[in-house]
Amino acid sequence: MRPFTYSRANDPASATKELAGNPNARFLAGGTNLIDLMKEDVERPSAIVDISGLRLTEIKPIAAGSAKGGLSIGGLGKNTDAANHPLIRQNYPLLTQAILAGASGQIRNMATNGGNLLQRTRCPYFYEVAMPCNKREPGSGCGALEGVNRLHAIFGASEKCVAVYPSDMAIALAALDAVVKVKNAGGQERSIPFADFHRLPGDTPERDTNLAHGELITAIDLPPNKFAGKSYYLKVRDRASYAFALISVAAGLEMDRSDGSGTKIVQARIAMGGVAHKPWRALKAEQFLAGKEATVENFKRAADAEMVDAKPLEHNKFKVELGSRSIVLALQMAMNGGKA
Amino acid sequence: MQDKNKLTGTPISRIDGIAKVTGKATYSTDFPVKNLAYAVLFKSTIAAGTIRTIDTTAAEKAPGVLAVITHTNAPKLNVNGGIRGGALLQSPEIEFYGQHIGLVVAETFEQARHATHLINVTYDKKEPKADFEKLAKDATLPKDKEKADAKRGDVKAALRDAEFKVEEVYETPIEHHHPLEPHATIAEWNGDRVTLYNSSQIVNGAQSAAANTLNIKPEQVRIITPYIGGGFGSKGGQWANLVLTAVAAKQVNRPVKLALTRQQMVNSVGLRQRNHQKVSLAATKDGKLTALAHEITTHGAIKEEFVEPCGDCSKVMYAVPNSLITYRAVPMNVILPTYTRGPGKSTGSFALESAMDELAYALKMDPIELRIKNEPERDPSNGKPWSSRKAVDCLQVGAKAFGWEKRKAEPRQNQQGNYLVGYGVASGTYPAHQRPTSAIVRLKRTANDVMATVELAAADLGTGTYTILTQTAADALGLPLRNVKVVIGDSDLPPAAGSVGSVGASSYANAVNDACQKITDELLTRSGKQFFARPTASQLMMSEKLTDFQTRIDAKPLESAEDYSAHSFNANFAEVAVNRFTGMVRVNRFLAVTGAGTILNPKTARSQIIGGNIWGIGMALTEESVLDPRWGNFVTRSFADYHVPANLDIGNMEAIFIREDDQKANTLGVKGIGEVGIVGVAAAVANAIFNATGKRVRELPITPDKLL
Repeated sequence: MRPFTYSRANDPASATKELAGNPNARFLAGGTNLIDLMKEDVERPSAIVDISGLRLTEIKPIAAGSAKGGLSIGGLGKNTDAANHPLIRQNYPLLTQAILAGASGQIRNMATNGGNLLQRTRCPYFYEVAMPCNKREPGSGCGALEGVNRLHAIFGASEKCVAVYPSDMAIALAALDAVVKVKNAGGQERSIPFADFHRLPGDTPERDTNLAHGELITAIDLPPNKFAGKSYYLKVRDRASYAFALISVAAGLEMDRSDGSGTKIVQARIAMGGVAHKPWRALKAEQFLAGKEATVENFKRAADAEMVDAKPLEHNKFKVELGSRSIVLALQMAMNGGKA
Repeated sequence: MQDKNKLTGTPISRIDGIAKVTGKATYSTDFPVKNLAYAVLFKSTIAAGTIRTIDTTAAEKAPGVLAVITHTNAPKLNVNGGIRGGALLQSPEIEFYGQHIGLVVAETFEQARHATHLINVTYDKKEPKADFEKLAKDATLPKDKEKADAKRGDVKAALRDAEFKVEEVYETPIEHHHPLEPHATIAEWNGDRVTLYNSSQIVNGAQSAAANTLNIKPEQVRIITPYIGGGFGSKGGQWANLVLTAVAAKQVNRPVKLALTRQQMVNSVGLRQRNHQKVSLAATKDGKLTALAHEITTHGAIKEEFVEPCGDCSKVMYAVPNSLITYRAVPMNVILPTYTRGPGKSTGSFALESAMDELAYALKMDPIELRIKNEPERDPSNGKPWSSRKAVDCLQVGAKAFGWEKRKAEPRQNQQGNYLVGYGVASGTYPAHQRPTSAIVRLKRTANDVMATVELAAADLGTGTYTILTQTAADALGLPLRNVKVVIGDSDLPPAAGSVGSVGASSYANAVNDACQKITDELLTRSGKQFFARPTASQLMMSEKLTDFQTRIDAKPLESAEDYSAHSFNANFAEVAVNRFTGMVRVNRFLAVTGAGTILNPKTARSQIIGGNIWGIGMALTEESVLDPRWGNFVTRSFADYHVPANLDIGNMEAIFIREDDQKANTLGVKGIGEVGIVGVAAAVANAIFNATGKRVRELPITPDKLL
């Protein structure tokens, strides 16, 4: 950890202003990732702006606009509170399951919703500063490309970076078509559709998201959906808790009868974690399932349609088969209302 | 031995429990030493080569920095003084990735850590030897005589003529001890004498290693270690961090604290070696073993050798006329391997007991029956009679308690929803030894109250040494628990064995008991009276109206113990559920049945056994330290990457102790439980996974990808 200045922001305007004035300043919210990275000397901010006191913690129904009937979650609310909120448990159980599948109780109590989206990869070559890593030090190379890459990407990677994005919560948010609300130092607000929030590595793996420096996540909006009763978050990992996903799948099925009892799929939502540099919407699988009967056979064909494009590395070839099985199992579990 | 009127054998809660949960227990870095400075280590970023230049100018000028110590200015130390793993800053040579190359001492921890980032090092790099798969072919016979080829009969012929045989290779990865408390030291010089507050499983061992390495006399070094936050072998031998703290304190002329970070633990304090084990079993069609060969290939460090004894279980578990145990090792650019819980036996039993399960399946025989059929009457490795052996009892009692009869002999026959359920069994053993240990007992009487203090340089790893010694002394002196005080963890006390190799409880408890018997004898002699029943020391203090009395003993093992082969034995039972889609494994139930002689405290003993079991489950399913062979670095540097089991991974744990009176092993019949709890566990889990899925995984850990 290197010397830095610390200040506490009293309102979003001063927080964003303070950050905008210094390209090497960082917001501090829950601190569950940033502080770890500072101790490892990966993050070296010269200034820390503590935003944990800003009151952007409310969870409230959306009364107007395209997401009317949905829910808005404060950017600085705690993960634990989001997971356990009655309206989220009732209308977005997929989000509850995903949040509770991540980290540990203690970490979820500290971590914020906005901060969760900004988690950095857990790639070990990113974490150890003596190793080459284009994300940490552009141009230094990718340690994982020909190294230990069992946990790495099978979709959308580049020669520059094969890291995966670690959040569970964000995988559910991708399936839920969430919208990230942000505010900048000029007071301007904008809405970023979830699919556009995170980036694939391409030639600039140092950039995880399309958030501009100094922009503050004020809220995450969840539009209403018709699959709350038929959704499931499946997480496959090396131990039963406190491990990042080998593969995770957030699945929701909107059926042809409004009470969810139909057999035909109107629309499927499938997002995958542990496979790419961002939450991976399995659009090919979704496309295949639209208008199809909800059968295991169709689930398998949907999974195949998605996984055929996977490009595994030396140590993660298993993720192709596991990804396929996980899509099928998650869809089956969703169809059964989350029960095995 | 488990007498109703005795305090030993009763499940009392640990004496030091309150101090620990209220934060009053002083671990190594908790001592309130005044005027402390803080040291932070910095480490090499290559695995092989030489330091060309090391520029510490900026670090020395950084705020608060008191000293920067590297090989260029470190005092001359004795590299053969007993510190394990080198890294004593005596030369520019680099033998493994993350070798200590210096330390910064500063007014605060933060200042010291910051200064380490300001140091520039250049190297002449060499290609590291870090790819075990490629190096294994060059492995040669170890220098350690214990690892010489052990042959009995003609294994080759027996395998050639076998009616049934199994010949398979079992792989276990590098593992780390990762105790909850990372290694930590405070060093404080007073003239030419240094006090080292340092987590040490062997108090006197730490003292002599520090003294020899610092080129001073043992009496100039005092080790203080009243509480240890786990060690599992990594705090048995001592590592460079201990001595470098003393060096730093001398250099800045004030006390210095040095605590390792979790990330530094992977290349500072040893590891469990990577093992490649070939096991060949031959048997008749009715299940009598005719040959057992266990051929081990492993690695050491570049200059030093350490080979854990993976063949030990194979030497003693089964009656077999033809046997072969061999070891081969190759140097690698990694930190020196060292003793790690159940050294050799935990990893070796994975190979042997998996192979036994494979043989049972080939024979279409129950794996418990196969084991019982091959029960040896004497120790097959040396022909000595057993002091006592409860291996079969463990299997039989366990089978009944676990509901073994519900197991399906064929795999994949027990499906419950998305899960395939299976049962597995495996045996284990660990030798029981007592080591010389001295102790002082002091009695003090006020009116009708006699207080006893028992003193010895023992160590409590957190497993219950304070508690069992309090119980032992209270029984032997005729006192209630609250009138006994046990003082340990200080090299100024009478020298004692270490809390290693399952010798702690037997060595300490027998010494304390001997000391208490001796003080009673001395009081009796002093009284000059004859008694119908032997009075207790406490009664004699009162009848003789004494206020202070003390004695010291240098306890030794029974000479007759040499005539016997003394071991603890166990049987492990696992029920697993494997998700048939994802390959995730859940251990629903685990039972360990142990015959380990006298159990001084069933509560702390149970905790120790299930602790070993849980590590064994981790060994089976999750734990692996992964090296990148290109650079020789570990990519698993934190608990996020190195997966020990979490609460959710562990189902119902049960421990049963077989009643066993083994006075041939030692006076109290205490055989030790620290190591045996992990032996056989990984095999039981792997065998259960085979029973559930039909997949035989011979490479640990059994992660979901291996079961797709």
